[in-house]
Amino acid sequence: MASYFEIELEKLKNIIIKIGSLAENQVKESVKALLSEPVAEGKEVKKVENKIDKLDIKIDEVCQSIFALQQPVASDLRFIMSAMQISNEIERIGDLAVSIIKKSKNIKDKHDLIVKFNIADLARQVELITAKTNACFLTREESTIGEIFVLNKNIKKEAEDAIQGIIAEMKVNSKAVVSGTNLIIVLKHLERISEHCTNIAESVYFMIHAKIIKHEKFDEDKYNN
Amino acid sequence: MKDIKIQVNDLSLYYGEKKALKEISMQIPANKVTALIGPSGCGKSTFLRCINRMNDLIPSVSITGQMLVEGVDIYDKNVDVVNIRKKIGMVFQKSNPFPKSIYENVAYGPRINGIKSKRELDEIVETSLRQAAIWDELKDRLDDSALGLSGGQQQRLCIARTLAVSPDIILMDEPASALDPISTSKIEELVHQLKEKYTIIIVTHNMQQAARTSDYTAFFYLGELIEMGKTNTIFTKPEQKQTEDYITGRFG
Repeated sequence: MASYFEIELEKLKNIIIKIGSLAENQVKESVKALLSEPVAEGKEVKKVENKIDKLDIKIDEVCQSIFALQQPVASDLRFIMSAMQISNEIERIGDLAVSIIKKSKNIKDKHDLIVKFNIADLARQVELITAKTNACFLTREESTIGEIFVLNKNIKKEAEDAIQGIIAEMKVNSKAVVSGTNLIIVLKHLERISEHCTNIAESVYFMIHAKIIKHEKFDEDKYNN
Repeated sequence: MKDIKIQVNDLSLYYGEKKALKEISMQIPANKVTALIGPSGCGKSTFLRCINRMNDLIPSVSITGQMLVEGVDIYDKNVDVVNIRKKIGMVFQKSNPFPKSIYENVAYGPRINGIKSKRELDEIVETSLRQAAIWDELKDRLDDSALGLSGGQQQRLCIARTLAVSPDIILMDEPASALDPISTSKIEELVHQLKEKYTIIIVTHNMQQAARTSDYTAFFYLGELIEMGKTNTIFTKPEQKQTEDYITGRFG
């Protein structure tokens, strides 16, 4: 029979899975909004955002109570430290997704720029990295952590290329300035989402190996073996 | 580990036929606190008692292997056990002051060791009580019976009594397990201060206490030393699964 403490840990794990899947859905909605596909109603998006905020607070409360009452050590301690970090990152992913939805709806004439700079592909990669991030928390597979790092590297590069392309376009075509500027903001948001996913993968790595790898220079081979 | 105070080589202990300690090898550093943890019956107290040959008092006990204190095997037949116990003091779970005055409790050891001068004894009593962080509480009642003190005060008095004979090593067997949280924290604080001068080995069932007070932790299970390492490592990333299971409360 699981101990009271193990039940508490399981509860915490389930809340993280829930908040993670809500944020993943928000990201999907944001990609749809960006690519002018039918998107959930504003009310629904807001409702999910509130749910994420509430779960984020709930995670803090559960962690605080475990720290105070159970004095966790070793892998339990790492799990709870990571849980706090991860929920914080997920909450930000949710916020960025909402921001993308709001912004995207108001960008007129974005279609040409999106096609020209292959932004749809970039957005799909962000969707993928978010899904992989949730999976890596659940399965704790090191190979998935490696894939997240590789994806993040690609996303950053492609976002930067797209931004440079849009800037060049704005220089020669003044009509593209307003939508181009807004698209750059959206691209930066997508890049941030990818960065938060990477932070989560780092937390999962810490959870498994008790080694802190944040701020380490990315070494593709290290995580792909 | 820089300075090794105690080197244990393949130490086994038998109670008659039963092997209670199995080939223990470890190094205990000088001027550090080493905590011995493990479930009841794992051999940690038995091991502690090996360090000052307390197990000699049990007739069925036999020991193999080496226990080198500063390079000298204390189980060598030429070694004087009285000298060992002078050098290696011990504090027990249940405080055990003599039914004498506070002063006499602390002066008892030095007196037996031949110190007669009242001035010298006064000095030792004061220094020892100060080191045990209890001088301010007791200085005006040195002639009162030690048995009238609270549990926490009695335990610190016993520590002062141990210090009075100037040991190098202090063994503590669950020194705070019968005390309230305030007395416990005083003992823990004391342990922290004493390690500057003494090598301390503490047996505790209280994992948080081991984590708070010690520099090194050794985990015993079924008479074996499973793992020893820096306390910070043992409580954050132990190498052995058994250690992880024990400290996280998932044992068995």
